[in-house]
Amino acid sequence: MTTAGDVGTASGARRELAVPPRWSWLLRRREILVTAVIVVVVAASTAAHPYFWASSNLAFIFADSVVIAFLALGESFVMIGRGIDLSVGAIMGLSAIFVGFRIQNDGISLLPAVLLGAGVGIVLGLGNAILVGVVRLPPIIATLGTLSVYSGLEFVVTNGNQVDTIPNSITNLGSDTVLPGVPVILLLTLPFVLISAWVLRYTTFGRSIYAVGDDAEAAYRAGIPVQRVLFSTYLVSGLFAGLGGVAYLIYTSGASSTSGINDNLTAIAAAIIGGTALTGGVGGALGALVGSVFLTVTLTAMSFAHVSDVWQPAGVGVLVLLAVVYDSRSRSRSLSRTGGGRRARGQRRRGQQPRSATARSSSPAFPGEGGTR
Amino acid sequence: MTTTSPTPTSSPAPATLALPGRWRVPGWGTCLLVAIIAELFYFTLTTRQFAGGGQGMLNLTEQFAPTGVLALGLAMVILTGNIDLSCAANASLAAVIAGTVLDKGGSPAAAILAAVAVATFVGLFNGVLVAFVGIDSLLVTLATQFIITSVATSVAGASPPFGFSSSFTLIGQSGIDYVPIALLVFAVIAIAVIVTIGYTGLGRSLTLIGYNPSAARYSGIAIRRSLTSAFTLCGALSGVAGVLLAAYYNSAQPDIGADLLLPGITAVILGGMDIFGGRGRIGEVVLAVFVLGYMSQGMLIEGDSSLSITMITGLVLIGALVVKFAFERNFRQRMNARMRRLRAPLHRDAHG
Repeated sequence: MTTAGDVGTASGARRELAVPPRWSWLLRRREILVTAVIVVVVAASTAAHPYFWASSNLAFIFADSVVIAFLALGESFVMIGRGIDLSVGAIMGLSAIFVGFRIQNDGISLLPAVLLGAGVGIVLGLGNAILVGVVRLPPIIATLGTLSVYSGLEFVVTNGNQVDTIPNSITNLGSDTVLPGVPVILLLTLPFVLISAWVLRYTTFGRSIYAVGDDAEAAYRAGIPVQRVLFSTYLVSGLFAGLGGVAYLIYTSGASSTSGINDNLTAIAAAIIGGTALTGGVGGALGALVGSVFLTVTLTAMSFAHVSDVWQPAGVGVLVLLAVVYDSRSRSRSLSRTGGGRRARGQRRRGQQPRSATARSSSPAFPGEGGTR
Repeated sequence: MTTTSPTPTSSPAPATLALPGRWRVPGWGTCLLVAIIAELFYFTLTTRQFAGGGQGMLNLTEQFAPTGVLALGLAMVILTGNIDLSCAANASLAAVIAGTVLDKGGSPAAAILAAVAVATFVGLFNGVLVAFVGIDSLLVTLATQFIITSVATSVAGASPPFGFSSSFTLIGQSGIDYVPIALLVFAVIAIAVIVTIGYTGLGRSLTLIGYNPSAARYSGIAIRRSLTSAFTLCGALSGVAGVLLAAYYNSAQPDIGADLLLPGITAVILGGMDIFGGRGRIGEVVLAVFVLGYMSQGMLIEGDSSLSITMITGLVLIGALVVKFAFERNFRQRMNARMRRLRAPLHRDAHG
């Protein structure tokens, strides 16, 4: 992989290191930067509309962002490993449906509900994990396929019914507050975020994900079981999406055949805003939470400023673009391989296969990228 | 392949493999053709309304011609190793624009022009962000998809336009003699795209960019301009798809095209296009459009719901890919190994 593009990346990174680390670390920690922006947005909105600071409004914002945060958390694991999971929204919807019907019909309490949601999520995540980790399909196609399958399954499972009677004892978790503005559900979510952050930062598994995402070829040569790590990331993503389904039930107190269909891309957007790069090897669990809160705060602020709901998707889109443009590292990286980001990923995946004899990796006319072996 | 001594079969492979549309009999294309014929037979036998004396089968193409046009645009972008997630939203926007122009009393020609122009501009915007600003296409089109959706909803307003003049709706609903106009539009565009990709400099540039970006750069291809053209063309075709949709449904809901994204990408991938770019034939994508289209229409007629068809589509996509990947990976390696074993004794004889 000694292409001109990679050389360009290396020199770019060196230039970045040359900046004296005095204030720049504050700006480079995406979580801190986004938190600062959240504070600014909240302050401005409160100045304009005092109700914004009301406990119930803040609790509403947090409960809303917790749902996206779970999806973004799982998505972060996958994206750090240089993959993508387009099916998290559908997994969340299916989990909400399964759990919702059990709560509605059998009256199970919160703990079994959470366990059931996690189980559903892991089983559905297993589908992605097998397709990507074992069959080695490109993640974007594999999860696109499972997205169709799972969203169709949502419809088949509900069979026209919907979940609409969730007992108050459960839905109150989203509206009851421990401190002013902090709903119970946020406290229940924090352990998951902290554990994820710890796993990513301090365990061998977590470090392996970064290594695989940064350079799968190098990780493979360093003895990291690349496919097994990728397999696990999709399981984790499914697990968190399943938990997100329970959070969705708590927040919306219902579920139908279209639950979560549109949340895939929002989750990816939240992860990107939180500092996780699609190019792999960068990001973290705290970023996912902060990114989700930021998205919800901004969208709520938009509706407080009497911007029509119609423009909310556009708000998400603009925020994603801003986050990416700000992240000069990911920009220079993809610029250096103009249009080759995903292709380079594919090459690395193929590069792991021992002496793959495909015509493409050995075409003598193009010495540039034929050098994987 | 460099480990084996060059065999007569392997030496021309790199040159021809990269370029679609050559006169070789493609294995995957044959599979798709067989699949179409099998589907047509199956549905003709199982459901009475499907064939309709041949005319019914032709009329069904009206329903998936928009998906086909969208898939052709996507195929060009995917050929370069990029992706356009915004094309379906772009089609919706085009439909809404066409509807609004018609609603305001514009002529059908003006409506079509305006719709395609706006969609082309959106494509150009995507292309510039990807090629000149250098953001990953997945991110760019993810973001623009959100933005376009908002714009479409806002333009459509609270009561989206519907009930257009018959001179507009005939594009989607009627035919010349026996052939639906939508199918004709699809055919013309398909031929144009096949020619562009297979036989022009732009097509070769796009293929090479997808196949090997650095080689493309070193051989002096204007990468940025070619990439921008691919996205712009994709935008234009999304616009055409949107016009076909509006004409077929005789209305312009702001989410009218949203359901086209998944089948569109599925058609491109099922058509053998490599998601990492550089490999694939437009002709096979066209076949895949028919495979998918007839499958979903046949199942709809049989009485399945559209969402369970989405599920089947996903299963077909995954299944086809698993088979194709296994085929490519194992079959080729096994063949190479067999060739090597066959040649080994010969070499020993020659040296001994």
